[in-house]
Amino acid sequence: MTAVEWQIVGFTVWVAALSTLAILPIGLALAWALARGNWPGKSVVETLVTLPLVMPPVATGLILLTIFGRHGVGGFLQDTFNFKIIFTWRAVLLALSVMSLPLLVRSARTAFEEVNPRLEQIARTLGAGGWRVFFTITIPLAARGIVGGMLLAFARALGEFGATIMVAGYMPGKTATISLAIFEDVQDFQDTKAYHLLGVSVALAFIAVWTSEFFLRRKKPT
Amino acid sequence: MKLAKTFLASFVALWLAANLRAAEITAFAAASLTDSLKEIAANYEKISGDKITFNFGASSTLARQIEAGATADIFFSADEAQMNGLATNGLIDTATRKSILGNSLVVVVPNDSTLQIKSAAGLTNASVKQIALADPKAVPAGVYARAWLIKSQLWPAIEPKVVPTENVRAALAAVASGNVDAGVVYKTDAAISKSVKIACEVPRADGPDISYPMALVKDSPQPEAAKKFLDYLSSKEAGQVFTRYGFLLRQ
Amino acid sequence: MSLLLKNISLPLAHFALEVDVEMPKRVTAVFGPSGAGKTSLLDLIAGLRSPRSAFIQLNGDVLTDTAKKFSVATHRRGIGYVPQDLALFPHLSVRQNLFYGRKSRENAGMLFSFEHVIKVLEIEPLTSRGVTELSGGEKQRVALARALLASPRLLLLDEPLASLDEPLKEKIIPYLIRIRDEFQIPMLCVTHDRFVALTLADEIVVLMGGKVMQTGPVSEVFTRPANAEVAKFAGVETLQPGKITSVADGLATVNVGSVTLTALAPATASRDVFVCIRGEEVILQRDAAIASSVRNRLSARVLSLRPEGALVRVELDAGFPLFALVTRPACAELELREGATVIALIKAPAIHLVPR
Repeated sequence: MTAVEWQIVGFTVWVAALSTLAILPIGLALAWALARGNWPGKSVVETLVTLPLVMPPVATGLILLTIFGRHGVGGFLQDTFNFKIIFTWRAVLLALSVMSLPLLVRSARTAFEEVNPRLEQIARTLGAGGWRVFFTITIPLAARGIVGGMLLAFARALGEFGATIMVAGYMPGKTATISLAIFEDVQDFQDTKAYHLLGVSVALAFIAVWTSEFFLRRKKPT
Repeated sequence: MKLAKTFLASFVALWLAANLRAAEITAFAAASLTDSLKEIAANYEKISGDKITFNFGASSTLARQIEAGATADIFFSADEAQMNGLATNGLIDTATRKSILGNSLVVVVPNDSTLQIKSAAGLTNASVKQIALADPKAVPAGVYARAWLIKSQLWPAIEPKVVPTENVRAALAAVASGNVDAGVVYKTDAAISKSVKIACEVPRADGPDISYPMALVKDSPQPEAAKKFLDYLSSKEAGQVFTRYGFLLRQ
Repeated sequence: MSLLLKNISLPLAHFALEVDVEMPKRVTAVFGPSGAGKTSLLDLIAGLRSPRSAFIQLNGDVLTDTAKKFSVATHRRGIGYVPQDLALFPHLSVRQNLFYGRKSRENAGMLFSFEHVIKVLEIEPLTSRGVTELSGGEKQRVALARALLASPRLLLLDEPLASLDEPLKEKIIPYLIRIRDEFQIPMLCVTHDRFVALTLADEIVVLMGGKVMQTGPVSEVFTRPANAEVAKFAGVETLQPGKITSVADGLATVNVGSVTLTALAPATASRDVFVCIRGEEVILQRDAAIASSVRNRLSARVLSLRPEGALVRVELDAGFPLFALVTRPACAELELREGATVIALIKAPAIHLVPR
């Protein structure tokens, strides 16, 4: 493995980790809202959040390209703040975030549903307001499922390709992730390089998923 | 049981029918040839009764696919390098190889762009932040562009701005969408899109020699029909279509 | 304390909870069978459920007023809640559970000091343990302490003894009494256990099928149930159909089974009645020859004996099924056993006639 290949691995791990952290607030918020109560539009939101899981990743990528491209929000951001998303590392972050969000939401939602609502209610009678209950009772009790979900999301982000290539392209040193690099290396008849990256990719995915399963495995009933 | 028999019978009938049709030729061709070849093939199908199926893409990707065993009758590449690669591996019928087409490069910008790029030096301007090229490592259009910029001794300054795309049409699309500031594509591509305008044309003397070789693939399932189509591609009628799209005819 | 519940309406699974009651006394028991809506009522008072309509006022502060679309958030009501399943936080230690409702480690500004509470409830040795290591009784006391340490102005208890076995019940009751007496805190206790109501409460609200059947001092409700349903549930031991044959001088003669009893004449004129006699009011005697003021002296045969805590429940055939509650020592002294013959004495005022 050359320095360039390690840079690609390092970049992929870094931006995947960053995306997992980035989706945490909105992922937990969505999981919470879906776990508790019925509200109008709940099933629509539920479906929208699941879409990136089942739609072709390139289709999701195309949607992102349209929204964040020159003729969408991206144009506004570029003109006003000189802030460009498409074809930069920020687009990689965007693609990874959108594609891995459903996995976090699903695991976190199950974890929240398993927290006994009575505990939250009693915490409120003890004087704890909404946020305090959420952070001192709900999250600690749901921690296992949340961490498992984060690891799944991380694993998904590591392997993201379809949406990434649409919005970020393959720019060596700037947006090259492991999966993009494997694709390009194969195109460029650089099979050996591709196999190196393939090995790293399998190893990373294995570790991430294995650890995730460890957290998501149900607690033995006490 | 009766249902199964009916199913089997219809399956066999359709299978036979498929094999009894007129010859179907598969041509792997460079992306920049998309529109011109489609028109030429439509004309040929009327004359010959054969059917032409295309696989358009970056010549490098197509070569890779043929090498991996994809079934093709004809390979029509955008540069000699890709054809050489296949020839070295004995995958083409070298007797049938010839190059009849050339092209020129242009710099394109989005229609609503205010940038003025009059030459390669213009690309080094700070206001040009991202330039779309078909992957300069392998795809002919990108390889040609890179050769031009190396010749102009501006490649090191421009390379950091390059956004590599999968093929030349993808580079064109990137410029058309406004997500990059400029791109280098074939003149024939610029003519296709209404969302881009040509900023400047690369003079033939400054650019590399662009050549589009075509050949019969050795493992072609329909060599006779394929050779007939190859001959048609070299004909005067085909040449007129190519010229109309902006290609240059080589002798 | 003064807790005012007006116009409460909350649809539940099989009926609607409809309550209109004032609870002025310090300790009130909400008494009724399981599923009567008692827990839902507590939830409403604590602000954990939204009613269709309600006006809830505690000590002059309006907590809920649906007419004005006004409701104080749960965490601002200052109402302590000890639910039936205790709801101790499993991921926190006992100490962390106890301190959850306190704003600081300091005792300043708090109603009860930490040391005082854990001493009264005898949980000092437990503070460093994890919640899952506690026994049933220990969990109960920790849950009570936790609620108290949050300085509530009203304490809601949902079936405080329900999940405990008999010996444990007897051990926890004193703690509840201590909470009532030492901390002087107003309590609203939901229970279907007569013993708890009797021991703890000043006043009882009988809730059945979502409706308030009767309110009043504990002893009065148990001795003078408003109707047969309350009578049946308030655990009057003997409940038999009877027919009033004559009324004279404020006394009624009632035929029950194969005997005739003298009771106080009821206010209503109906002849068909239920005869209610509380087990505590039946005196058993060996010797028939002793004269006394008791109007009803029945010869009875002991059918069965069942210990209930410090008492023994004696089932008798007195011409109709009759139950008596006597102390264990008394049982031993009288040598009560199955098949023995005794005299059952019931004072006329102890026989309560409820119209059928």
